[in-house]
Amino acid sequence: MTGLKLKGISVSDRLNRLNLEVEAGQLVGLIGPNGSGKSTLLSVAAGLLPGSGTVEWSGRDLDEIDPLERGRLAAWVPQDAMFSFGFSVRAVVGHGRFAHGDDEQGIDEALERMDLTSLADRRVNELSGGERQRVILARALATVAPLQFWDEPLAALDVRHGLEVLRLARELTKVGKTVFFSLHDLRLAHSLDRVVLLKDGDLYAEGSPDEVLTETNLQDVFGVRMRTAPGLILELT
Amino acid sequence: MKAWMRSHAMWIASGGLVVAMLASLGIGDMALSLDRIWAGLWNEDEMAAIILWQIRVPRMLVAIEIGAALAASGVVMQAYFRNSLASPGLLGVSSGGAAGAVVAIGAGWTMVSFYILPLMAIVGALGATLAVVGLARRGASTERLLLAGVALNALLGAVTSYVLSDFTLSYERNAQIIFWLLGGLEDRNWDHVLMAAPVLLCAALLWPLGRSMDLLSLGATEAQSLGVNVRVLRRKMLALSTVMTALATAVAGTVGFVGLVVPHIFRLMVGPEHKQLVPLSLIGGATFVLACDLIGRSMGNIRLGIVTAVLGGPFFLWMLRRRV
Repeated sequence: MTGLKLKGISVSDRLNRLNLEVEAGQLVGLIGPNGSGKSTLLSVAAGLLPGSGTVEWSGRDLDEIDPLERGRLAAWVPQDAMFSFGFSVRAVVGHGRFAHGDDEQGIDEALERMDLTSLADRRVNELSGGERQRVILARALATVAPLQFWDEPLAALDVRHGLEVLRLARELTKVGKTVFFSLHDLRLAHSLDRVVLLKDGDLYAEGSPDEVLTETNLQDVFGVRMRTAPGLILELT
Repeated sequence: MKAWMRSHAMWIASGGLVVAMLASLGIGDMALSLDRIWAGLWNEDEMAAIILWQIRVPRMLVAIEIGAALAASGVVMQAYFRNSLASPGLLGVSSGGAAGAVVAIGAGWTMVSFYILPLMAIVGALGATLAVVGLARRGASTERLLLAGVALNALLGAVTSYVLSDFTLSYERNAQIIFWLLGGLEDRNWDHVLMAAPVLLCAALLWPLGRSMDLLSLGATEAQSLGVNVRVLRRKMLALSTVMTALATAVAGTVGFVGLVVPHIFRLMVGPEHKQLVPLSLIGGATFVLACDLIGRSMGNIRLGIVTAVLGGPFFLWMLRRRV
């Protein structure tokens, strides 16, 4: 079943007639240099930025889905969430339940899953960037939405929490959810189901990591040479 | 401490309001004991009944209405602009209401109908709201927001000054404008209670928006992603805060700082969640204005607007300093 379908998506100066289809239950990574359109594409796919073309979630045109139902169907993790007011961590995770109705047990589970139980009563604007990022991921988790759009969720995280987020994403896909996220670390991209490579607002390549992350592609898009060498490999214990 | 405060804040605020209401009814040129207040309210004490039903009860009710309205407007604007320094006074919305009302008085339209004044205040406040929304944009920096307010306040102040400097106006009409601009509750009667009554309807409409306002205070994109209909919510918030500020200004003139001080105090006490902050600010705003009116009355009839400014000005500077 199709989880997400983008047809002819254009955003002036940022995305050019982009087509993409993602199966439900896939873990899809979006990669590309700075300014290639990753955040724009994720925002359009999540229905948060208008663009020309059509977006479909599970076969339904986004225009036909009302705002509250959108909140139930998709979760969004911004690149850097800013908090003007000092909500508690628990309250922010609880915001994820707005479209669904309160579920204290679900909030507790999301907090525990992101290693935030001990911070639950802390004010979110007093946390470090990485801790804030985990709070936002816990909020996305609390939504239990079938489509998860995460904009650079690993950027501020330490190595352990980064790996845990990847494991979490994998677990979500195992229960049929679609996770579409942007990332910079190409080594991590190898563990994904599919990779979408952007260059200057165009879809340059997409497919399995082995198909996309080739020496030629990386040379063309990033201007770097790929070399495989034995190195440090980190895994969760 | 905060958890205790959160679960007891409503009781504390309600208790404070009841005390302020009783003080407002009892204190004055002729002090009334609790017994006499009770007897007067039931028309069993003729003198007390006249004082209460003709003077103090309407004054108290107007104070409650404008206090609740201004504090709630402050809460709404702070969530809208994601800035705890946003308030109807600082952003120029009160000045817009005042300018509209002054034009109505100056042009003599208030002679045609009593309700022209609040209508013109709403027109003025709405114009100012739209201007500040255009100038500052949501999520604007504190500097940009406050500068937009400074510019609007200056511009609308000029409108008021222009009306006042129109020498074709009678001395009485000018005096009426100045008296009204200073902000106060003197001679407020049942007509004024009725004029500001829609404030209660606005408060009732605002109450259920608390959760959505929490999300909007995170930013429009995030609120939208969580299921909020941002466009509809923003329109409701602007309409409610504008009408509440305008009505408060129409019945009591310019009363500053209520929308800044009250929400901030409650945010410190119970946190930023609007489900609690909105009702607490409604109650707390009413209590604050009643208390300021009492202070003014017991210090030789100092006007309400002066008392709130004397208390609110230093508080605002303290808030600015804390942010720096």
